[in-house]
Amino acid sequence: MRQLRPVEANSEIYSTELLDRRWLSKKTIELKLVKPPLFTFNPGQRICLIHKSVERDYSLVSAPADTDLILCIRKVHTGILSSQLSEIALGTRLRFTGPHGYFTFKPSNRPAIFVATGTGLAPFCSMVRSGITDIALLHGVSLAADLYYADFIKPAVKHYIPCLSKPNGSPEDCFNGRVTDYLQKNLPPGKYDFYLCGSRDMIHDVTVLVDERFEGSLIYTEIYY
Amino acid sequence: MHKEDLMKVYTGTGDRGKTSLFSGERVSKANLQIEVYGEIDELNSIIGALVAALAPEQTDLVDELEHIQSNLFDISAILATTPDSPSMNQLRSFSREEFDALEKTIDARQDKLTELKGFILPGGHMTAAWSHIARTVCRRIERQMVSFLAEYFQGEIPEQYRNAQIYLNRLSDYFFVVARYCNHISGTAEKLWKK
Repeated sequence: MRQLRPVEANSEIYSTELLDRRWLSKKTIELKLVKPPLFTFNPGQRICLIHKSVERDYSLVSAPADTDLILCIRKVHTGILSSQLSEIALGTRLRFTGPHGYFTFKPSNRPAIFVATGTGLAPFCSMVRSGITDIALLHGVSLAADLYYADFIKPAVKHYIPCLSKPNGSPEDCFNGRVTDYLQKNLPPGKYDFYLCGSRDMIHDVTVLVDERFEGSLIYTEIYY
Repeated sequence: MHKEDLMKVYTGTGDRGKTSLFSGERVSKANLQIEVYGEIDELNSIIGALVAALAPEQTDLVDELEHIQSNLFDISAILATTPDSPSMNQLRSFSREEFDALEKTIDARQDKLTELKGFILPGGHMTAAWSHIARTVCRRIERQMVSFLAEYFQGEIPEQYRNAQIYLNRLSDYFFVVARYCNHISGTAEKLWKK
């Protein structure tokens, strides 16, 4: 891990409660939590959820103005907390710290390109819900069934580009291939602000591409391990 | 940063000789700016070794050194961010209160020591030896910082960079005093330069 994380001011522990849970896809759940009255955050930030002394960071899907806190979590086979969160009863008390992180939108005169893989879409949802819509948003997933939140995002943002790495009779408006393939083939050379959130592999591949084709661009990243 | 899977520390994005600034730019690792904050990381690690070598009852000194380690993170973050970028607003500013406080700490430790009677050989107790290494690395960082600031700003240096530079200057003085203090509390005699 890079040794350059600036000091984060807020590590207060908040108490919350699980209000609702729904499955967004075969492996992805959405949790709705009570938002403590004094808790504030900026779109794109994370909270660290604590349950039975296990702690995990999750980006918020909801906007600061929303009534509840919403998280989008991939159920990982070996993940202790994600497995518990997919099963615990509604009404369960949980604790969290936050907000954490610096992955927030920085306005500039360069076009903003948001690139997510899987649940890496979460911080971008919060930004879009907060009115940041003059953007191109690429969402890379395996199958069309994993394109959760598309109904909300597609009409809201300037360009929404779903990218399917395992296309199988995919809808016409989807790009068949990875997000990096799309950027390589379709994004004209120039200077952009790239916001990358998701897998380490995607962040590596897009960074290499930016170094080669989009020199002078900025890259902000949030890695989902 | 999410940790649901086994956490790996590498991304591979630096394999081609470039690295990312906190403010988003991709820059060469040969950049002086990168070298300066890389060496601050070296200093921070040396302070870690000094803390590890201290006796458990030296809690005041440990607290002091750990506060300095946090300050060095702040300075690294400032150096890893382009001035006037929106990302700079996300960082804690580095004020002169920090080096004012450091000067007071130096004076308080100095008061407990005997007067200097000449140049002393760096060394003595293990903790003093670590502190001397920290002092010399800190001096090197200060020299590089001066070069970086002169090259980068070519004129008026923004306040928090200037404060960071002054802090690094005082910090090497601090490590000199701490080295002597470590020899003092461990009962290790100082050896003077024999001409």
